Amino acid sequence: MNKIEPAAPEAPPQELSPRDRQPRWRGLEAGHRACQGCGEALAARLVLEAAGPDVVVTNATGCLEVFTTPWPQSAWRVPWLHSLFENSAAIASGVEAAMKAKGQRTKVIAMGGDGGTFDIGFQALSGMLERMHNVLYVCYDNEAYMNTGIQRSGSTPHAAMTTTSPPGKERMGKRHMKKDLLSIIAAHHVPYAASTSVSFPADLRRKVRRALDIEGPTFLLVHSPCPLGWGHDASRSIEIGRLAVECGLFPVVELERGELGGVMPIREPRPVTEYLKLQNRFRHLFADDHRAREEREHLQALADHNIDKYHLRGDGADPLDTAGIDTVRRGGPLR
Amino acid sequence: MATLLTRGAYALPGTSLNFKTGTWRSEKPQHKHWAAPCHSACPAGEDAQAWLAKVQEHKPREAWEALTRVNPMPAVTGRVCPHPCESACNRGQYDESITIHGVERWLGDQAIANRWTYPEAPKGAGGRIAVVGAGPAGLSAAYHLRRRGFEVTLFDAMPEAGGLLRSAIPLTRLPRDVLDAEIARIMGLGIDFQPRHALGRDLRLDDLRSSYRAVFLGIGAGKSREWSVDGAVPGDYADGLHLLKEWIAVGGIPMPKAVAIHGGGNTAVDLARVWKRAGVAEVHVITASALPGPGADPSDVLNVVPRELKEAIEEGIVFHEHRTIQRLLMRGSKVVGLEMVRLRKLPDGKGRMARVAFEGTETVLHVDMVVPAIGEVVEPTGIESLMHGANYFRADAFGRLKDAEGVLVGGDSRGDRGTVSAAIGDGRKAAEAIDAMLSGRDAVEERRDVVTFDKLNLHYFERSRRVALSELPVEKRTDVDEIEGGYSPAEASREADRCLSCGNCLACDNCWTLCPDSAVLKMKEIASDGSHYRFDYDYCKGCGVCAVECPCGFIEMVADD
Repeated sequence: MNKIEPAAPEAPPQELSPRDRQPRWRGLEAGHRACQGCGEALAARLVLEAAGPDVVVTNATGCLEVFTTPWPQSAWRVPWLHSLFENSAAIASGVEAAMKAKGQRTKVIAMGGDGGTFDIGFQALSGMLERMHNVLYVCYDNEAYMNTGIQRSGSTPHAAMTTTSPPGKERMGKRHMKKDLLSIIAAHHVPYAASTSVSFPADLRRKVRRALDIEGPTFLLVHSPCPLGWGHDASRSIEIGRLAVECGLFPVVELERGELGGVMPIREPRPVTEYLKLQNRFRHLFADDHRAREEREHLQALADHNIDKYHLRGDGADPLDTAGIDTVRRGGPLR
Repeated sequence: MATLLTRGAYALPGTSLNFKTGTWRSEKPQHKHWAAPCHSACPAGEDAQAWLAKVQEHKPREAWEALTRVNPMPAVTGRVCPHPCESACNRGQYDESITIHGVERWLGDQAIANRWTYPEAPKGAGGRIAVVGAGPAGLSAAYHLRRRGFEVTLFDAMPEAGGLLRSAIPLTRLPRDVLDAEIARIMGLGIDFQPRHALGRDLRLDDLRSSYRAVFLGIGAGKSREWSVDGAVPGDYADGLHLLKEWIAVGGIPMPKAVAIHGGGNTAVDLARVWKRAGVAEVHVITASALPGPGADPSDVLNVVPRELKEAIEEGIVFHEHRTIQRLLMRGSKVVGLEMVRLRKLPDGKGRMARVAFEGTETVLHVDMVVPAIGEVVEPTGIESLMHGANYFRADAFGRLKDAEGVLVGGDSRGDRGTVSAAIGDGRKAAEAIDAMLSGRDAVEERRDVVTFDKLNLHYFERSRRVALSELPVEKRTDVDEIEGGYSPAEASREADRCLSCGNCLACDNCWTLCPDSAVLKMKEIASDGSHYRFDYDYCKGCGVCAVECPCGFIEMVADD
């Protein structure tokens, strides 16, 4: 029988997958190789979400660079450059100068970990700030060289254990203090230098937008818990970052032209031990040893010092303090 | 998908999606819709969390519809229920529990004011069911049967429906226009109401069983218990419920100078307050239970709506807790006083609780009337064959009687109930059991695990006090004006917003925002589990951040192999 075959129906327009329909800009995509519960991976995604697509990212060597770009794949959906450990700020300076020459307003974001910022890339960063490049530098601060196996950095807090600051007979973890990088940045008289934490996404996003709105060099220090390096359960990353802020060890502040601008007030300061006891890198501070007790008190004093120095103690409950800023309601965050 | 390379062998952006990090996982997150404590504590079976969520969404009509899928009379229960939901509320461990009854009442009143109706009941295809007793249990059974498509004939001995809600609850707690409105709405579903039909007088159980496909008995407990103190009965003996009913029906009540009410339920407290307002100087309530307070054992506390008790004490009623009457002081047949003694319910060594009176704690109270309000039992006339000489029916959870197929019971006639809400729950469960029986399947009652306080993440909620309900001051209280006021729309909304959404998705975006691996996808449509989020197990590494940071305990980590 000669039967006329009906014409093949036109192919339906390709359906967008749920992932493609997410109501947010996806600057850093899934499939990256960060560890479980990585604070830095989350922080970088949140930064890009707030920054939007019209950006160029330069990246220092470090975890972020490694886990997002195992050749031949990339998790980045924005132009992204990596050259060396020490020169993220230098590359960003050049990209910014080129953008300026082209008359293009694309924003340049330089990224690095604390190793690439506090120590190895510090001179390039200082130069970028001194030359007043219109770049936002974001430092993901996980307080040690995690990518190479947890060596101490200038950012490692006092008394923390790393592979190069082991506790023992001589020392209780790192001997030196955490470098006060934010003050050093602010001393460059830049318009905006701020700290924030991945545990307070609303604060982080606001500060990224604020910094990008400012013409000139801006700097953001993002506290980013590292389950592997800090020795805590992967599921507790956000909680531990929150405790760091709530105890005063990581002050969340804004410095504008060197002066203290806003701070995130602490509703009820927590004892530092609540923060320390969840992490293996401070485990030796809970040994039955008079030095352990001394170092716990030392860290508490450092936290109290931060609270006094930055006036972190709130004046009663505030909707934007540590306890209020995350308040949720049905259908999304309160603000 | 093959890796995309440009001619220069540079990887195209976005290709990390080719690498499925989900294979690293040993545990995976999944949504778990728990029962909120308010839901598991509700004798009617209401899921307050679910309808409070609708109020939070500013959809009061949908909230009311969700509520009335279980309880057809929210304006009534919002007023008279002792709200065990509020005692169970997790928020009570944080600051103050949600005023669930206040929001429930507001929804009920909105429905009456705006003439909201139930969805139209399907045409009766399931056959006709007899419901005896138009109190809360019978009304609920009739309502649920009708909504399931059965025809219903509803009998009651009284001229009007309502049962104890009409005959024994003072107007100060339940205005009758509210009761009338909710009953009229139930009758509007097409229920054949036959008033003035008493079981044993106008109706015979056998006739009902042969003429209807099933029979539900919500006949309450209408017969007073025998009461005497060592054989002594006052000459002016009357039981409490009878006096309360008479006062509500005709407005008259004896006027002693001082009265003692023996009992610890709502009847005792309601009657005490009626007497106090009528001008009796001294009103005593003598109860074997304890007053609620810090340290009180919940199983030992008076079974009274907590705010009613608070109001009664404000009004000057004297409560004697852990006491019983040991002797009546009589002059002829006239009471001139009584002797009380302290007692406690204590284990008797055989695993049961027994009342132990303590010698040497006797005190005398000078009153000229003593009234028992110690509960009632089922009037057995016409149903002797079902009672087997017991005071109450013995039935399973659905109200089914072992030896009478097709006859179900519920409400106060069970003896193990005692609240309007429990009666409403019985009616609903009986409707399910009848439906199941007639369609040849097993009856089911949905049960979910209860989410406890420690599963919530309170960091995400600000502390807040409950929104207070207005209350008439003692000097303005009358016999007819409702004492507790209702919420305004803004107040109801503010109170509902305090709900922590225990065990159910709040759609707060926390999991979506905080997943380091972008493995939580936000969906436009609501997923079958009630949330707006889906886990992308291709990429989820199983870190568990979402489970810890979920404010509601809606995400749990389970082994994944």
